Amino acid sequence: MVLWNYLRLLRPSVLKQLNPRVVALVNALPGLDRQNKAMLGRLFIHGGLAHAKKGPDGRLRAELRIPPAEFIWKPSVIVMPHGGDLDLELVNDDPWDPHCAILPSNGDKQWIWLPMLSRGRASLNLDGPGYYWFSSAIANNEGRGLIGGILVLGDVPREARLDRPPQPRP
Amino acid sequence: MPLKGKQLSALGIGSMCAAGVIAAVRKSRENHGQQKHYVPAERAVNLGSLSAAVGSAPPVVRDVTYERILEARSEPHNWLTYYGAYDGQRYSTLEQINTENVERLRPAWVFQFSPIGLQAGESTYAFEAAPIVVDGVMYVSGWDGWVWAIDARTGQELWRYRHEIPFDTPICCGNVNRGVAVAKGKVFVVSLNAHVIAIDAETGNCLWDQVYGDVRAGESATVAPLVVKNLVIVGSSGGEFGVRGHLDAFDLDTGERVWRTYTVPKPGEPGSETWPADGDAWARGGGNCWVTGTYDPELNLMYWGTGNPSPDFDGSVREGDNLYTDCVIAVDPDNGEIRWHYQYTPHDVWDYDSNMTPILFELDGRKLLGHFNKNGYFFVLDRTNGELVRVAPFGERITWGEIAADGKVTPKIWAEREGEPVHVWPAPAGATEWTHTAYSPKTGLFYVPVIDVGANLTLRRVEFKESLPYFGADPAVDKNMQGFIKAFDPSTGEEVWRWRNETPMVASVLATGGDLVFVGEPTGEFNAFHAETGELLWQFQCGSGHHSSPSTYSIDGTQYIAVPVGWGSWVEGFAPEMAGAPHGAALFAFALAQ
Repeated sequence: MVLWNYLRLLRPSVLKQLNPRVVALVNALPGLDRQNKAMLGRLFIHGGLAHAKKGPDGRLRAELRIPPAEFIWKPSVIVMPHGGDLDLELVNDDPWDPHCAILPSNGDKQWIWLPMLSRGRASLNLDGPGYYWFSSAIANNEGRGLIGGILVLGDVPREARLDRPPQPRP
Repeated sequence: MPLKGKQLSALGIGSMCAAGVIAAVRKSRENHGQQKHYVPAERAVNLGSLSAAVGSAPPVVRDVTYERILEARSEPHNWLTYYGAYDGQRYSTLEQINTENVERLRPAWVFQFSPIGLQAGESTYAFEAAPIVVDGVMYVSGWDGWVWAIDARTGQELWRYRHEIPFDTPICCGNVNRGVAVAKGKVFVVSLNAHVIAIDAETGNCLWDQVYGDVRAGESATVAPLVVKNLVIVGSSGGEFGVRGHLDAFDLDTGERVWRTYTVPKPGEPGSETWPADGDAWARGGGNCWVTGTYDPELNLMYWGTGNPSPDFDGSVREGDNLYTDCVIAVDPDNGEIRWHYQYTPHDVWDYDSNMTPILFELDGRKLLGHFNKNGYFFVLDRTNGELVRVAPFGERITWGEIAADGKVTPKIWAEREGEPVHVWPAPAGATEWTHTAYSPKTGLFYVPVIDVGANLTLRRVEFKESLPYFGADPAVDKNMQGFIKAFDPSTGEEVWRWRNETPMVASVLATGGDLVFVGEPTGEFNAFHAETGELLWQFQCGSGHHSSPSTYSIDGTQYIAVPVGWGSWVEGFAPEMAGAPHGAALFAFALAQ
């Protein structure tokens, strides 16, 4: 598993994106990505990024896992290409600890209990553009690293935008 | 040194071969583990279902019609619309709680709802709303997209609605919302990311949802909607980001947009001559309607205050009066046309938004409008045509300029040279902030919450970039501060009484038929004053500063005073010495002890 992740990083498309300053930062303080190493927990948003996929019914889908003894969401960043409905499959692979998920959704936040070695489902509705957080809101799961983000790309509908010429952006 | 060309390719091919083998082994192990050990978790549920919330409310809003809202003051047991009535007076005829017995006022219940997890404006959220009450049910909005229905007799949560707010929403000041509107079985609210939403008043479920602002342009929304006829009308926020302000009207049954009116004209439209002829200054002009307007049904005119021009402090890029910024605009609700306007601070370079309530009242048979402006002056206008009747200072110290009795504005101090600070009173938060003045037709007096703090303005010109703040100067607010509640007579413009406080007064005032004036302090005290004399008669410490709008109602003959409590928002602007005061997130209801 770990070896596989290292090997994936050797892809040309990834290597081309390596930022020497970021590499130097991680190198300066190894162990930020482990439990009880550099810190007590693990720097959050360490579980990678995945794009939600559109299903035949037009709804977006993604999988969220909690790997054993790591206290991270994997992925910890989910990207939606636009606002709308997102169906999540949640898997707790962790035999060390039960977890839960508190998830953003219009109407009310969604909550699911995730016993050790369990699978569950959640359906979310999000506007975007912008990003939203999710976590496991028990004990100090959030502090240990179980915080993630859902990024919604796109623009607001044309009729909601300002009637003015295109403006410069940063 | 980064790898290039063939080195990268060789590494890539090699790693892919190895990866294939490892992936197959891993997949096999995972599948084996799932079949043997994994248990199903129940499907995710609404967080509110894991609480004592009832999940539904009685159908009290079903019969709230436009006709009932028109006559809101005839049913004083309710608080049917944002200001209690269309006139914006924030006055109730209820008199059970009065000057003789107010000392017996005690908390009847407290509703608490602290933030959950992360939220936009984590350190600046505030509880700013005005509770709406219909036949024993309270509807109130909080920060970060929360709306609640509450049993107004007991404080029991009936239902909750949550609209998710992107963590990165651009906001100038705080994660806030000023309240909801109700009609025809629906609760209307805006979200910080500029949606207007209709919620089923019985179930808390969303019925329709329309986007009316562009968060990528720096727009947001905090206003309490106004229901007029069959329309729900909302204004936008974003005047610190160089947007173009607008009012939008939606059909309250279907959510279809009926009209949009911009508060800054395009080239060629009336008022465009007050902007530079060349360039895009008008397109970034500001003038947002971020506080609810008032309405005169006889004249069929709404009155909305407009916000500052953008950039706030650098007037060199927008020569001219910059209509309709810093104005009251009289708007026809049927089509959104601006019938007349009055500009309080032409070519504003001090951030003197003019969103403070245009309060409608009558004097000697004349239809008038009273308004206390950030710029420190109290205006009385003829609301049929916008003619100035009277203008008088109410701010404690006013140095930015002077307004003569005929309304002529003479600026005196403004930031002119890059990097050179100039000092002005009032500071950009104004001599009064958005928090509302009250008017008692019983005493004939206005009661205004006053801020007395100055600021150094240092010009810092910047190039406009969509979504970035567009101030044009750095406002450094004084540490020396004080506040007041002041009572003014609109027939003379004279101050009748004052009550001084160590900190600025930045909460809305409520006036009642019991000759009482209620208002909270930044330090947590909720106060009742004698409406005629200003004597402090009662006080209760709520544990957090007040930055909201109290309302009053009654159930089965018992009068309640309700006040949301939760310090925050633009504290560095209106009370910087209170930036470390505790946040709160509670709603208190008070009633007389038996």
